[in-house]
Amino acid sequence: MQPAISYRLIKKEKHTGARLGEITTPHGTFRTPIFMPVGTQATVKTLAPEELDEMGATIILANTYHLWLRPGEDIVKQAGGLHKFMNWDHGILTDSGGFQVFSLAKNRDISEKGVTFKNEINGDRMFLSPEKAIQIENDLGPDIMMSLDECPPFFETYDYVKKSVERTSRWAERGLKAHRNPQTQGLFGIVQGAGFEDLRKQSASDLVSMDFPGYSIGGLSVGESKAEMNRILEVTTPLLPENKPVI
Amino acid sequence: MGVGVTDSLIDGVIRGIDMFDCVLPTRIARNGTVMTSHGRLVVKNAEYARDFGPLDDQCSCYTCRNYSRAYIRHLIKSGETFGLRLASYHNLYYLIHLMKRVQQAILDDNLLDLRAEVFEQYGYNKPNAKSF
Repeated sequence: MQPAISYRLIKKEKHTGARLGEITTPHGTFRTPIFMPVGTQATVKTLAPEELDEMGATIILANTYHLWLRPGEDIVKQAGGLHKFMNWDHGILTDSGGFQVFSLAKNRDISEKGVTFKNEINGDRMFLSPEKAIQIENDLGPDIMMSLDECPPFFETYDYVKKSVERTSRWAERGLKAHRNPQTQGLFGIVQGAGFEDLRKQSASDLVSMDFPGYSIGGLSVGESKAEMNRILEVTTPLLPENKPVI
Repeated sequence: MGVGVTDSLIDGVIRGIDMFDCVLPTRIARNGTVMTSHGRLVVKNAEYARDFGPLDDQCSCYTCRNYSRAYIRHLIKSGETFGLRLASYHNLYYLIHLMKRVQQAILDDNLLDLRAEVFEQYGYNKPNAKSF
């Protein structure tokens, strides 16, 4: 059976190894590398989908955290999924909600089961687990979904980041098991490990063994220097399979 | 990866990244800052009050084909939502088309030449250069 998301490497640039590729999704095929406009609340602020199409956007990002809190994934599902809800017929990617829970939410409590926090809109106690993130993303219906990961601060201690990476791998496995629509939605794994090269390797190796249709490099562009970001990319991307897309 | 600035996009591609996303281009647009082939431009600034040229003379987006810096400055200063739309459109178009040039450079095996050219034009080689 055809997987939801496939990647074809067209060519590597001779001097740098940069990749020209082609990603096929249930909502179109497009060339990479690309920039994806962000539509946090199922809208790219101020712009109509027709305008995004006209400027050449082929896939946009929407945020699970925001759409879960408002309007709620059940309403989006009832509308027929994000594509119908927002009138966008090309690619959509959702994050897992993890980054927002770790960066925005108040009164946060992390355990092996998941994360509890306070809903900023109505004060309710909320609980996000790897299974819950997948259920929300299955209901929202994007082409590409992300596993729930913990995004520790870049300069956390080695011991903390090691425990966090191991938990993120367990959460990735739980998410894969919970995923109900692998034929229509591709679930990607997220490599963590902050600035520690051996933890990045451990995380990449764990996730690659689970055979995701694509991988994300998480925990970067969060305040570290450009040199540090480049160093981590250089040790991480070579560990990922050449026939899978990297975000 | 959550990156939306010219230098880090090109340097991320060189290190094997295929897809990037970031709120920065639309967020700064709504504050009156745009990315151009000659670097960042704070179109809200007084110096553009009588500048009737486009945001970026090398850009062929809807905004640059039809509207002037002076007009967009006026709209944003007046709190008119159309100004936010025009600036957002331009910034997204700029990044999407930067990546199209990167794709072509991979085909042509001259990505480092493109990097050098774009970095020089954007102003990254100047002292105290900003990232966007």
